Amino acid sequence: MTFIDLLMLGFSEAITPANLAFCLLGALLGTLIGVLPGIGPTATIAVLLPITFFLPPLAGIIMLAGIYYGAQYGGSTTAVLVNLPGEASAVVTTLDGYQMARQGRAGAALAVAALGSFFAGTVATFAIAVAGPTLSGFALSFGPAEYVSLMVFGLLAATILASGPVLKAIGMILIGLLLGMVGTDGATGAERLTFGAIELFDGIDFIVIAIGIFGFSEIIANLERSGSEGVKLAPLSRLWPTREDFRNSWGAVLRGTGLGTLLGLLPGGGATLASFSAYSLEKKVSRHPERFGTGVVEGVAAPEAANNAAAQSSFIPLLTLGIPSNNMMAMMLSAFMIHGITPGPTVLTNQPEIFWGLVASMWIGNLLLVVINLPMIGLWVKLLTVPYRLLYPAILLFCCIGVYSMNNRIFDVILAAGFGLLGYAFRKAKCEPGPLLLGFVLGPLLESNLRRTLLITQGDPAIFVERPISLVMLLATVALLGLMILPAFRRTREEAFQEEEA
Amino acid sequence: MAAPTGTGTGDRPDLLSAGLFIGLGALGLWMGRGLPFGTLAQMGPGFLPRVVCVLLIAVGLAVGLPALRRPAQAIEAVRLRPLLVITVAIVGFAYAATHLGFVLAALWLVIAGSLADPGGRWRHILPLAAGLTLFGALVFVYGLGVQVPLWPF
Amino acid sequence: MTITKTAALAAILATTATAALADWPADRPIEMIVAFAPGGGTDIMLRTLAPFLEAELDTQIPVLNRPGASGEIAYTALSQARPDGHTVSSLNTPGFLTMQIGRTLRYEPADICPIARIVEDPGTFIVQAGSDYTSLADLVAFAKANPGAVSVGTTGVGTDEHLAMLQLEQAAGIDLTAVPFGGANEAKTALLGGHVAMIGLNVGEYTTSDQGSFRALAQFAEERSTLAPELPTAKELGFDVLMSSERGLAAHCDVPEEIRARLAAAVDTALANPEFQEKARQQALPLSFKSGADWQADMPVRLARYTEIFKLIEGGQ
Repeated sequence: MTFIDLLMLGFSEAITPANLAFCLLGALLGTLIGVLPGIGPTATIAVLLPITFFLPPLAGIIMLAGIYYGAQYGGSTTAVLVNLPGEASAVVTTLDGYQMARQGRAGAALAVAALGSFFAGTVATFAIAVAGPTLSGFALSFGPAEYVSLMVFGLLAATILASGPVLKAIGMILIGLLLGMVGTDGATGAERLTFGAIELFDGIDFIVIAIGIFGFSEIIANLERSGSEGVKLAPLSRLWPTREDFRNSWGAVLRGTGLGTLLGLLPGGGATLASFSAYSLEKKVSRHPERFGTGVVEGVAAPEAANNAAAQSSFIPLLTLGIPSNNMMAMMLSAFMIHGITPGPTVLTNQPEIFWGLVASMWIGNLLLVVINLPMIGLWVKLLTVPYRLLYPAILLFCCIGVYSMNNRIFDVILAAGFGLLGYAFRKAKCEPGPLLLGFVLGPLLESNLRRTLLITQGDPAIFVERPISLVMLLATVALLGLMILPAFRRTREEAFQEEEA
Repeated sequence: MAAPTGTGTGDRPDLLSAGLFIGLGALGLWMGRGLPFGTLAQMGPGFLPRVVCVLLIAVGLAVGLPALRRPAQAIEAVRLRPLLVITVAIVGFAYAATHLGFVLAALWLVIAGSLADPGGRWRHILPLAAGLTLFGALVFVYGLGVQVPLWPF
Repeated sequence: MTITKTAALAAILATTATAALADWPADRPIEMIVAFAPGGGTDIMLRTLAPFLEAELDTQIPVLNRPGASGEIAYTALSQARPDGHTVSSLNTPGFLTMQIGRTLRYEPADICPIARIVEDPGTFIVQAGSDYTSLADLVAFAKANPGAVSVGTTGVGTDEHLAMLQLEQAAGIDLTAVPFGGANEAKTALLGGHVAMIGLNVGEYTTSDQGSFRALAQFAEERSTLAPELPTAKELGFDVLMSSERGLAAHCDVPEEIRARLAAAVDTALANPEFQEKARQQALPLSFKSGADWQADMPVRLARYTEIFKLIEGGQ
C-alpha cells in the first residue's frame, strides 16, 4: 500500500462516528483536567484504563490519546490566566503568558497558544506518519552518556530563562536538583533527605512544588500589595491577536515545532525540555531579548508549539518500537496490551488500521481542540474580569483539591503550603522560580543516567567526549558557558535586568 | 537569615538569597551526612547530594559577599496578614479534608482564606463559600472521583 | 467487671467487628498498589485482573503505581496502611526475598502475607537480534576474556534479573556489570540502542516484545516454559541458573484471616474465568495459581538459597 492509501485507511477508521465521538470525548476530558491544576492526565488515564476494556481497541486508544494531548492544551490556560503551570511543560508559558494577561492581552496569548499548538500538532503528526521509524532511530542513539550531556546542557540553558543575575539562577537550579533527590534512591534503595517522612519516599511531586511556589505564593503576594482591591488587571484591550502578534510569532512557532518534535522523542523530560529550550532559543535569536519575561508573544508561541509537538512525537517510540518514553506512554502501552496488541514494527505491517487510525485521529483531535478552544477564549478571558476577592478563594480551593487528589493524602497539601512560604521568601529575595522547577525535573534524570554511564564504562568518564552526540552537546555547553562569562554578554544581561527594574 | 551589616551598604534581597542558598545547602549536607559517598564507578546515594550542596553554598557566598558592599537596597515590606492567614487556611483544609469531610474543609478554606483580604465582606464571602463548596463537591468528588469523604461521618 | 459485663462487651466488640467484616468490601474501594511503573509485566497483569476481581467482590479496585527501590516503597506503604482489607499490593519474588538480605528495611517482612500467586514466569537473558552472542556460551567466553566488560541491564538491586546475573557469574566464573534501570521498558530501549550488551527479562515480557529485534539466550527454569518451548534452559546448557519471577498479591498479616481467604478465593475464581484466561493468553501470562499459605511455605527455602548466593558473590569480590 502506498502512503496515501495508508493515510486514507487511517482517516476512514478515525472518522467513523463512534471513533470520532471518543476522540471528542477524550479531547474534552483532557482539556478539563488540563485546566484544573493538579489533576493530571496520567492519573486520569489510569482511572479510565479499565473502562477502555469494554471498547474496541482503536476507540479506547483514541480516547486515551485525546486526553493526553487535550491536557497539553488545557494546561496552558491556567498558566496564562492565573500564573499556575498545570504541568512541567507549562512552566515557561507562565513567564510571558501571565504578563500578557496582566496587560489585558490574555485573549491574544491564549489564541496564539492554541493556533501554535495546532500547527505544531499537525506537523508532528505528519512526522509520525512520514518518518516515524527513522525518528525512532534518533531516540535509540541516546544512551545514558548522551542523556547526561543533554541534561548538563539543559540545566545551563535553564539560566537563560531567568531575567535576573546568572548566579541566582544557578543557585535556584541547584535547589531544584536538591529537591529532586528527596526520596528513595532508585539504584540503592537508600533513603535521602526525607526527614524520615514516609510520604517523601517517592520523592516530592512536581505539582506540589509548582502549586506551592507559583500558586500559593502568587496569591499571598497579590493580596499583600493592598488587598484584593489592589489587584487590577489592565482593561481587556483586544480579544484576538493583532496582525503584529502573528508576524512576531510565526517564526517562533516554526522553531518551537522543530525542537519539540525532536526532543519529544526522548524519554523522560522530553516535553519539558522542549518547551524551555524553545523559549531559550527564541530569547537567543530575538533582536530584543531584554523584553522576554515582560509579555512578548514569542515567549508564549514557542514553548506552546514545542510542548504540543513533543506530546505528539512522544508517541513515536511507542508506536514504532513498542517502548514507552514516559509515564503517559507507559499507560498507553498498558491500554494496547490489555487489548492484546503489542505495539512495534509488527503492528505497522499486521494491523495498519490501528497505527494509521490513531495517527489520523490525532490530527482530527487537534483540529477539534482548536475548534473547541478558540470560542472558549472569550469565556476564559471573562473569568479575569471577576473581582480578585472572588477569584482567589476559588483558585485556592482548586489548588488544594488538586494537590490532595494526586495521592489522596493531606501531607502533600501541607507540603505545598510550605513551598508557598518558600516561594514567598524567593519573591522577597528576587529569585525567579522557573529554573528551580527545571532543575527539579531534570535532576533525577541526570543522576540516574550519570550512574548508569559510569557503571557501564567502569568509572571511565572519557565516554562523554568519545561519543559524538555527547561531545557535540558538551561543546555546546562550553560555548554557552563562554558566552555567559564573556563581559559583553554580561553587560547586556545587566542592562536587561536594569530595564526590568525600572 | 543573612543579617544586614550596616546602614549604608548591603543589598538585602541578594543577602536574603545568599542566606536561603547557604541555609538550604547546609541543611542538605546535614541531612545527607549518613549517606555513603561511593566512588565514581559505584556512586553511592550521597554522591550527588553532597556535590550539589557544596556548589549551592559556594553560589550563596558568591551572591552574598559582593552584596555586602553594594549600596543598601531594602526588601519589599512584609505583611503578615495574607501570609499567615492563607497558610493557616490551607493547613486547616488539609486536616479537615480527611477527618471532617470535604464540605466542612472547603467551607473553612474559602471563609478563612477570604479573611486574608482586609476588604472582605461577609455578604460576599458566605455565598461564595457555599457556591464553591457545592461546585467542588459536584465536579471533583462526583465528577472526577476524587477519593475524599464528603461529611464528617 | 463481672463476667456478664465482659461477655456483653465482647459480644458488642464482636458484633462491630463482624459488622465491619460484613461491610467489606462494598463500603470502600480496595486500593491495589503495584510496585512497578505502569506498563511493566506486573502492572499489566494486575490491571487486567482488577476488573475480574471487581466483578467477583462487587467493589471498586483502583490501581496505584508506587514504583521504586525494587518494590520496597510499595511494601512499606502496604505495611503502614490500615489492615482493614482495603489495601492490597503486588508481591513479587525474588525481589521481596532478596531485599531482606543485608539491607535495612523500613517495614517488617513478616507483616506481609501473600494472598495468592498468580503467575510464574521464568527469567531469560536477551541480546539484540544482530548481536555477536548467538548463545550463552558465546557470552560466557567473551566475559571470561574481558571481566566486567559485559553490561547487563536490570531493573534494580536484588531483582530477578540481578539475581540471575549473580548466579551466572557464579556458575560460569565470570564477572559482569549490573546497570540498574527504572523498568523493563527503559532497559529494552538501552539494549536496542546498544548502550548495554544484554538485559534480563522474563519469558513473558520477551514473547510479547517485538520478536524481530531481540534474541533470547536461555531461560532459567527447571523445564522449558510453555511460552518458549524452543528456548533451552540454562541447566541444559550446563549453567546452574534457576530464576523464576513469581507474581501475586499480598495483604498486611493483620488483615482478618477471613478477608484474606475471600480475596484468595476471588483470585482463584477470576483465574478460572475463560474470559480472563483468554486475556492472559494474549498477554503471554503463564498463569499458575498457588494459595497464599503454600506460597509462603516456599519462601524460607528460597530465601536461604538467595542468601547463600549473595554471600558467595560478596565474598568473591
